[in-house]
Amino acid sequence: MSKLEKNALEWSVFTVGLALVLATVGFLVYEAVSSPGSPADLSVELGRPERRGQVWAVPVTVRNRGEETAEGVQVEAVLRLPGGREERSELEVLFVPRHSQREGWVYFVQDPARGRLSGRVTGFEEP
Amino acid sequence: MSGQSRAGGRKRPARQSLQEYARGVVGGLLFSLPLIYTMEVWWAGFIARPSHLLLYFGAGFLLLFGYNRYAGLHEDASWWEVAFEAVEEMGLGFLVAAGTLWLLGRLNAGMPSEEILGKIVVEGVMAAIGVSVGAAQLGNAGGKGNGGSNQGMKGEENGEEPPGLAAQLVLAACGAVLFASNIAPTEEILMIAVETSPWKILGLALLSLVLGGVILFQSDFRGSQRQTPDDSRNSFTVASRITANYAVALVTSALILWFFGRFDGMSVGTCVAQTVVLGVAGSLGASAGRLLLQR
Repeated sequence: MSKLEKNALEWSVFTVGLALVLATVGFLVYEAVSSPGSPADLSVELGRPERRGQVWAVPVTVRNRGEETAEGVQVEAVLRLPGGREERSELEVLFVPRHSQREGWVYFVQDPARGRLSGRVTGFEEP
Repeated sequence: MSGQSRAGGRKRPARQSLQEYARGVVGGLLFSLPLIYTMEVWWAGFIARPSHLLLYFGAGFLLLFGYNRYAGLHEDASWWEVAFEAVEEMGLGFLVAAGTLWLLGRLNAGMPSEEILGKIVVEGVMAAIGVSVGAAQLGNAGGKGNGGSNQGMKGEENGEEPPGLAAQLVLAACGAVLFASNIAPTEEILMIAVETSPWKILGLALLSLVLGGVILFQSDFRGSQRQTPDDSRNSFTVASRITANYAVALVTSALILWFFGRFDGMSVGTCVAQTVVLGVAGSLGASAGRLLLQR
């Protein structure tokens, strides 16, 4: 076995490299073993409306609890006002990776406090 | 084992290793910056499954190992030293990729660990290959403290013997990866493959073969004489070298395309066409890149 003639700097760079390599492999193996390979599982959450001049802005959180990334996620938010009237707003999110969330906003002309607000994902693409 | 034959086996001064790391970091940026600035590559970081990322990481590590073994900085290195350097370079590559991605605003605290790690792995492996090439190639050849010769590979200090088949294939694969990976993740490969007529695709395959032949045998490219000295050139050697070169280019291109998900749900014909389209870059890398990568 040949001896490694390395100086302290080389040993420290090697140690950092080894730690990164082992941590990466460990994490990837853990993820590969623990993830059952379920498809993207998306849900939408709407936050508190805020007044922005003439319109109302509602924060949207799209969450993916599945194991696959969703692409081109279409989100629809509906404001149901008394008297059967509705106002719809849409949002498209480019990517929602697995176990991730993405945030955005939708705007309404009517005050959301005067009706019932709900949001849902209407569809997405497999990348 | 061969480490002992090095001049006295002395430790190198820290200043020298620091210079080497600096060259490595510059090389990492030089070769991987186009990929770090490409959004398809970020996406690959979170679209790819963990098992694919693991395979990709393993393949990258093997390539680093092979490159260090056959063309690395210390051509008199033992296997232990080659492994030591591969780990160092992987670490530096990851740091380069993570730092640059962070500065570009591609990593932030709100992201889940899977996404952050995925991006760093995909970009870091490419950066690590750049680090390896940079440390070995960007240096001033006289500045090496090994006392060894700076041309030729392990065991052929006179630098005249042609490198073995394994060395040639590994270097060709390194060259092909370095060149082809820059365009592999883009949509254009698929667009060209789908929209171009089959005859033109065939033309691209012929172009790749001709380029390989011209670079390896006709243009007096740097290092090409040493690989195949004139007296060993008969039509069989020429044909087999050109074929092997293109085969490496095609296999490498196909693997890269597969990793970036370009084969998912595609017909066989489209996959082949994409491979040939990318194979032009692969072939350039495998021939010209290889001759430049070797010392």
